Amino acid sequence: MDLFLQYMANGVVIGSTYVLVAVGLTLIFGILGVVNFAHGEFYMIGGYAGIVAITVLKLPVLPAIAFVLLVAAVVGIAAEAILHKPMKNHDATSSIISSFGLAVALQNAALVVMGPQPQRLNLDVSKIPVLSSLPTDFGPVFLPQQRLLIPIATVLLIAILYVVLRYTWTGRGLRAMAQHATVARLCGVRVERVAIVTFITGAALAGTAGMLMSSVFFVYPIVGNMIALKAFTVVILGGMGNVAGAAVAGLLLGITESLTSAYISNAMRDVVGFVFVILVLLFRPQGLFGKAVERS
Amino acid sequence: MRVYLIALLAFAGLAVAPFGIGGYETNVLMMVLFFVILAVGLDLVTGYCGQFSFATGAFYGIGAYTAAIMTRDFNTTIWVHLPAGAIVAGLFGLLLGIPALRLKGHFLAIVTIAFQTIVYLVISQWTSFTGGQVGLPMPNAGPVTVFGVTLFEFGSLRSYYWLTLAMTALTLLISWRLVNSRLGREWVAIRDDETLASAVGLDTTRGKLTAFVAYAALAGVAGVLTAHSLRGVTPDDYTIWISATVVAMMVVGGRGTFIGPILGAVFLAILPELLGKFAEYKMLIYGVLLVLVVTLMPEGVVGRLRARAAR
Amino acid sequence: MTAPILEARGITKRFGGVVAVNDASLTVGKGQIVGLIGPNGSGKSTMVNLVSGELMPNEGTFLFNGTDITSLPSHRRARLGMARSFQLLRLFHSLSVEDNLLLANHMRMKASIAASIFGRSSAREEEQRARARARELLAWFDLQDFADRPVSALSIGQQRMVEIARGMMSEPSLFVLDEPAAGLSPPNVDKLIQLVRRLRDEFGVSILLVEHVMRVVRDLCDHVVVLDSGVKIAEGAPDAVVKDPVVIEAYIGTGWKRRAQG
Repeated sequence: MDLFLQYMANGVVIGSTYVLVAVGLTLIFGILGVVNFAHGEFYMIGGYAGIVAITVLKLPVLPAIAFVLLVAAVVGIAAEAILHKPMKNHDATSSIISSFGLAVALQNAALVVMGPQPQRLNLDVSKIPVLSSLPTDFGPVFLPQQRLLIPIATVLLIAILYVVLRYTWTGRGLRAMAQHATVARLCGVRVERVAIVTFITGAALAGTAGMLMSSVFFVYPIVGNMIALKAFTVVILGGMGNVAGAAVAGLLLGITESLTSAYISNAMRDVVGFVFVILVLLFRPQGLFGKAVERS
Repeated sequence: MRVYLIALLAFAGLAVAPFGIGGYETNVLMMVLFFVILAVGLDLVTGYCGQFSFATGAFYGIGAYTAAIMTRDFNTTIWVHLPAGAIVAGLFGLLLGIPALRLKGHFLAIVTIAFQTIVYLVISQWTSFTGGQVGLPMPNAGPVTVFGVTLFEFGSLRSYYWLTLAMTALTLLISWRLVNSRLGREWVAIRDDETLASAVGLDTTRGKLTAFVAYAALAGVAGVLTAHSLRGVTPDDYTIWISATVVAMMVVGGRGTFIGPILGAVFLAILPELLGKFAEYKMLIYGVLLVLVVTLMPEGVVGRLRARAAR
Repeated sequence: MTAPILEARGITKRFGGVVAVNDASLTVGKGQIVGLIGPNGSGKSTMVNLVSGELMPNEGTFLFNGTDITSLPSHRRARLGMARSFQLLRLFHSLSVEDNLLLANHMRMKASIAASIFGRSSAREEEQRARARARELLAWFDLQDFADRPVSALSIGQQRMVEIARGMMSEPSLFVLDEPAAGLSPPNVDKLIQLVRRLRDEFGVSILLVEHVMRVVRDLCDHVVVLDSGVKIAEGAPDAVVKDPVVIEAYIGTGWKRRAQG
């Protein structure tokens, strides 16, 4: 039983990163209709940006986070310029191919710049105020601060995102676009700006996830492949474009994987999500929580 | 007829090529031919039938591992492996074609990536069956005998090259016949408008499944040839980057143009050899090229030239 | 009335909470031209998609030549002899006009796919016959000069004709025409009226005609069915139906409401 709780906690930690990556992916799809196969690379770049900021530039934690967000913003703007703006008059397959090409290019750029060897961020928690004072033992569950930080940051970021979407003009514009792009445009929503904001948000969420995870797991050039697949799994399970669905599905996938690896086999951990997703696509293409829509 | 004549001349030239070039160049040519088979196969399912696949590397690997595992367990020869690799890969193609019956566009693309990843995980992790990260070695194909008389000994680079060349000719001929048959026309109809295809009485299920099987079987054949000529298999030869490379070859050459993917394969497979010490950047170049071509010239080089000629 | 070729009995179709077609029935007799009319959003298009098998009804049955086809997908219905055109033109845009027609004849070809791949003479001769027939039909539609052109090179009016020629290429016994006059200029509408009549008179095809343009309906139809909000509100001879107060109310009423809301 004690071990079970520990596995659940580990699952929540992993699941939280899936949520961060998947929410951005689902936003970009829901608002702009772009299926971004390069989303895992946003995570990878966030991880490397964190490592560079802290170990190379020797920045303290908060400026390091700012650095990661800055890099993510640049990546987001560039990705929008490549994957969204020129693709409006192209068919859907072209945008799939284009983002896939971008993913391959980014992975190999990382391979050239950072090298193939996996790297990890050595975060000295004891020097960080607030974080160092957090407890690490919760009854039978042990969570070091680096891990504990991940679900906390996820909850915070998702809460901020929710408030922005709900109560700001930009948020209303984003939601209007998701509902009906043409009508939103007619009502004066500036589509270009919304598109850029959406990509920056997606890149920032995934980049933050990458930075947080880089103190727990290794970062390497193709780490984004698996993360992107997990995020797609989550997005499909949650229903394409559904943010709340992605949050629930992300935690579910993290916990399922953690339990699979503990009780069945470690090798099955990654396979279980894909089997899930293929089944869901075949039998409930609208996702676990979506409603079936059929149109004349 | 002119097409067949040009093809015949090209193959005749390629057949005598090993006498004029060194072993290294022969190896490069052979690798170009593997990619030609893969790119033409992908063009059948994606270029003609409009069904997306990022799983070329997986089918290529399934063919290669079929040959390697059969060699280890049954001690069979390449003559058995060629049809076996095509059949096993074709069956997996049928399996992947089933989701394509219900899914379109990006959903199908995601499923094919998931499939590619699962196949890679299986061949790299299931050590007892596939040799894991180390892979499996393969002995020479051995002598070719007819009624106990040895015709020639398999093992030299040239013999593998000629076999690959012959198989390339065969697969191109089959693909050419396919796209110019009634079935090929139905594939294009499904690509253009699936609802309409169904409304004029075409069986779109049969159309999509045959395209997937043909694609997978061709990749399987390329896999068997690769496994034998490399004298073994390792999982890293069959990753999603192979899929990406083949997609780039098809897109750059021109989707659905037949000759386009062939030229794309030749160009992109030789490119790293011309880059010299920059060869390690080849995947980076492929990625950038994919983005550029699909943005600026989505119909590919041959597609653009044909459109220009038609005007 | 002649024996029915198509019978729709008690058809209901719901999308989520919206009932698009509600317990509607209609019959097309052999050799008849039956009109299906109604204001915008009355469920005509849904009904056409239900007849052709692109959508499946929640309730009700379809009989075609007396056989139950309710659960058959659209390609099986096409094989039984049902052709259709589309409100928004649909053609295989990367293929030539002739190939567009040829595809509609594939389902009638007897040589196997394998024979076609290996270029056997049986398959080749069959294809030559189909091509000859496509040329004949194109000549009938005055399109013979465009056979080798890509369909995208044709005008909207010509593409409309290619669509109808394609339908005829499949040798149908019932042709469902979904707003064939949409986007045509008045002189072309006159040509269309004559053409549809000739289809029936010369080829003996029964026709279900969904149309907005009243002139087409009055000139052509033997019988008219009126839908409003998915419910059949009237049917009968065209002249009688057009004068029916319920039908006038449905048309003018919604028009008035639309203007008030706009």
